[in-house]
Parts: sequence; C-alpha cells; structure tokens
Amino acid sequence: MLPAVLLFTAVYLYPLSRLVAWSFFTPAPSLRHYRALLAEPAYLTAFANTVTLSVSVTVTTLVLGYPVAYLMTTLSPRARAVVLACVLVPFWTSILVRTFAWMVLLGRNGLLNGALVALGLVTSPVALIHNAIGVQIGMVHVLLPLMILPLYSVMVRIDAAWLRAARSLGAPPPQVFLHVFLPLSLPGIGAGCALVFLSSIGFFVTPALLGGPKQITIAMLIDLMINDLLNWGLGAALALMLLVVVTVLFVLFQRALGLDRVWGAA
Amino acid sequence: MVRRREVLKAIGMTTAAVTLGPFVHARPARADKGELVVVTWGGSLVKAQRKAYFEGFEKETGIRIKDDTPPTPAKLKTMVDSGNITWDVIETDLAAILTMRKDSLLEPIDYGKLDKRAVDSVYPATRLPDAVGSKIYSFNIVYNTKALPAGKHPRTWAEMWDGKKFAGGRTMNFGGGVTPQLEIALLADGVPKDKLYPVDVARAYASMAKLKPLVNKWYGSHAEAIQLVTSGESAIACTVGPRGMAAKREGAPIDVEFNEGKLAADHWCIVKGSPNREAGHAFINYALDPKRQAAMSRDVPYGPSNKAAIEFLKPAEARELPSSPENEKLQWWWQAAWWGEIGPDGKTNRERETEKFARWMVTG
Repeated sequence: MLPAVLLFTAVYLYPLSRLVAWSFFTPAPSLRHYRALLAEPAYLTAFANTVTLSVSVTVTTLVLGYPVAYLMTTLSPRARAVVLACVLVPFWTSILVRTFAWMVLLGRNGLLNGALVALGLVTSPVALIHNAIGVQIGMVHVLLPLMILPLYSVMVRIDAAWLRAARSLGAPPPQVFLHVFLPLSLPGIGAGCALVFLSSIGFFVTPALLGGPKQITIAMLIDLMINDLLNWGLGAALALMLLVVVTVLFVLFQRALGLDRVWGAA
Repeated sequence: MVRRREVLKAIGMTTAAVTLGPFVHARPARADKGELVVVTWGGSLVKAQRKAYFEGFEKETGIRIKDDTPPTPAKLKTMVDSGNITWDVIETDLAAILTMRKDSLLEPIDYGKLDKRAVDSVYPATRLPDAVGSKIYSFNIVYNTKALPAGKHPRTWAEMWDGKKFAGGRTMNFGGGVTPQLEIALLADGVPKDKLYPVDVARAYASMAKLKPLVNKWYGSHAEAIQLVTSGESAIACTVGPRGMAAKREGAPIDVEFNEGKLAADHWCIVKGSPNREAGHAFINYALDPKRQAAMSRDVPYGPSNKAAIEFLKPAEARELPSSPENEKLQWWWQAAWWGEIGPDGKTNRERETEKFARWMVTG
C-alpha cells in the first residue's frame, strides 16, 4: 500500500497542489483568476462546449461499444482474440496519426467526399471535418476501446446460470436482457462511461485538429494560457474549474444511473 | 452482487491494457561537454540551418550542435524556473521575446563578441539588447491555386474579407496570432500601412467580425495552415509566407501574395543561465555571415537578416524572399513596441489582446 500512496502523491497530488497554488498565488495571493473566469461568458461557453462534446462522445461510445463487448463474450476464443486485436491495435496507434487519417478520409477532397460526388449523391463536397461531426467521429474512434474493454471484462464474468434460470422461468429474451444481463453489466457501463467521459474532458489533439470554429474546448484555451501567454495562474484556474465541474457532473451522473450504490458497496 | 472493486478492477485492467504502448518519451536534448543546444522551429527549416550553419560551425570549432524544437516560452520558463537548463541558443520572434523578456528568461547579447561588419549590415531594428536578427519572415495571403488561380486571387486583405468575390473558407490563427491579425483587420478596413500603430483595437475587432463568418478553421500552427490550404479545406490563409513558398516549391497547389504582408524578423537569443554563453555567441556570430545566410535562403525561402546576403543570391532566388527589395516595398514592418507596452492592469497589450481574442473566438 505504501509504495502506491507514495507514487500517487508524487505523480498526482504534488502536481495538483502546484496547480492549486498557481491559480491562487500568481503573481500575488488573490482570487483574480477565478473572478476573471466567472466574469467572462466566453470561458463558460467553452466549458459548455467541452461538457456537451464529452457527454455526446460518451453516449455514442456506449451505444456502439455495448453490442461489440457483448459479441465478444459469445465468440470462440480464437474469434475473440481477433476482435480484441481489432479493438486494441488502433488504440496503440498514435492519436495524431489517426486524427490525420480521418482528415484524409473525411476532408473536402477526401475519399468519402470523392465517392459521394462521383456517385452523384451530392453536387459539392459535404463538410465532415472542422465541425461537430468531425470531432465526434474522431473522438469516438479514439475512445471506443476505453468503453469496450471494461464492458467486456464485466460481461465475461456474468454467470450464464443466471440467464438460463431467467429463461427457464419463462422470461422472453428482452426481459432476460433488461432484468438480468443489463443490471449485471452496470459496473462495466459505469467504468466505461467514467473512462471515456474523463478522457474526453481533457482531450486536446482531436478537437484542435478536427473541430471547427464552434468547437473550441477548455483544453485549447488552457494550452493558449500556458504555452503562449505564460499566464499560468489563469491556465491553472481554468484547469481546476474543469476539475470541479467534472467532479460535480460525475457525481450527478452516477446518481442518475444508480452507480453511486455500485461504487459505495464495497 | 455489483461491487465497487469490480468497477475498479474493470478500470484497472483497461488502463493497464491500453497504456502499455504509446508512452515512450524521448529524452530532452541537453548539451554535454563540447556541445551546444540550438532550438529552432524544426522541420525543413532546421535541415537547412544544419547545412548552412551547424555543419560548418561543428567543423570549425569542434563543438557539436544538437537541435531541439519548438522554442516555446513555456518550455523555457519551466527550465529557467527549475534551474534545469537544457537549451543554450533559441531562435524566435519578437512577440515571444517580449514575453520572455518580461519573465527574464534571456541573457544579454554581448555585441563585442560579434563581428562588427556583419552586425552593421544586420537590419538595425533587429539589433536588440537580448536578441539579434536571424532571418526575415512575413505574414501573407496564402491561397489554393485550384480554388483561386493566380491572377484571380485576392491581392489585398480587403479582398480576402470579400466572400462574394472570392469563394471558399478562410483560415486564421487561433489566439496566439492576435498580431498581426488585428493589424491586418485594420488594413482590410482601409487603414493605410503607415497608420497601423497605435492599433485601434475596437475598429480592428469590428473588421474581424466581418471576416468571422468566412473562417472555417482557426489553425493552431502554421504547418497546419499550409496543410489546410494545400488540401483545399480552406481557400485562403493568413499565415507565414515563406512556408507557403516552400510548399509551392514542393509542388503543392499553393501560392503567396506578398502585397500588404507583414514583415518581421526572427532572432537568435541566449537562454538565461546557459553554461555555454561563449559558444552561443560564437555560433550566433557564425550564423550572421552573409554568405552562409544566402546559402540558407536558397534552401528555405526566408529572407536573410544580414542585408549584405542578398548580393550573393541570383535575382530569381531573391524574388521568392519576403525581404527582396521588390517584395519589401509591398509590405509593412511589424512594430513590437506597441504590443510590448504594459497597461494599468500589468499586462502587455499583446497579453491582454490575446486573451480577449480567445474569448472573442469562442463567443463573439
């Protein structure tokens, strides 16, 4: 336990405390950075952009990932290994490379638009990147494994006897799913949504490259404050506000899904 | 039935599975004995600099040059604040120098250690207490020649603002490019080149608001801007002209209009507390030589900071440079003084306006 505590303190708590200190004490002790954040609607808009994007990415990955994870539990070990590789290999590819790949596929002169125009389905190229669709596609692709893996690891341990019991008691398949399988897979849903939501909140590369003028996120503003302006106080305040907003949203989200009981029941 | 540790286990397994691969970090460049770390903008630029400056300097002095990139103020500040200085010489523009100067991140330049003849022919405005000109760059109208064939392309910023006459998306710099974008907005609104300073901020934003509906992407780096125009995602960019010129040389459907462009210099600076200040000065001196600068400009189309270097270039070579006599006449010199002025809020104009510009992009 002690090594874990030391590691956690060194690589997480210490930097976080530095961040807190910057936000309150640069250049002098004051609440000026927080006042600046609350006084300017632009920062709140960027918060809203970030949260909306993260929620929609989380929901999309859940909808897409759940059936894949379920499928994996029904396959033979060999077929499962193939599906697992399909899920994991893209994940190990650099995010930058995958983001550029989407630009090649979805761009104005990209493969998809080329095909659409050649088939006569559209007369001029459709804007698929540098807008909400582009960021959504890019981020869902990057984060899907973070949803599928926890779902699978929970589903695979669901005892088939429960399902057989439900069926032998006369429940039709939808009922079996709704009343037995789905509740048993809740820890996977909770873990998957937590990982995807938390990762998307701080996502930088994909929104910066695939997003458009309306998808400016908090991470992009933090980058500007830290890297360009050396305004580390305001950058730190933005980061901490994000942390607070995420924590609050996360608690609400767990309550709504009834996951607080899941987490709390040690 | 459903237990906390199951959720945690699921998270743990996933995290372990997915984090094994991609987190291999390169060690930062650091000068060992007999080495000098020079930080510039990387890519094709540093290749040209290696050929024109680094190789000859290594041979002449026996000091090896390691290069690193990018020379951002944040990285430098982290180094100087922590006392863990791994850079010696950096090349950057005046906007960044203003920020670095405010945080005391640079050493003074000792002009006594530099060749007087070379220094005398360097653009006077680039001879600063903590920096000396390294090359000349420009911000120009960079356009896609398939969307806008040469001759039918915008020649002024007012034309770039004209979405009816010139179709296609525009791409402008995200936040950090507040200058020259505010000056350019003023030019688009009819302010003459010699009346740009002090910047009429309100008028500039009013003019930017007219361009905003045409902007389909705020680009994060100049490399991205060139890529956006090359691929046709945006028809016109306001970005670094020499990068557009370099892409054109490589066959990209791209061209540069120098008219009404911003001219400015990049500078060599020595990092505060660098243990290799002597070697740093020797390197800067080596790179001020006009013949070597001409060789560098032949390779990548940036202008030499030493005016004498133009004599070593053929007219056809000089024509592609932002600081050739013909192109210089079309453009205006960027003035950092106004941007460096500190207001009652303790912020420089650049800092205040960059923050405002970021907010304006999000909401305005």
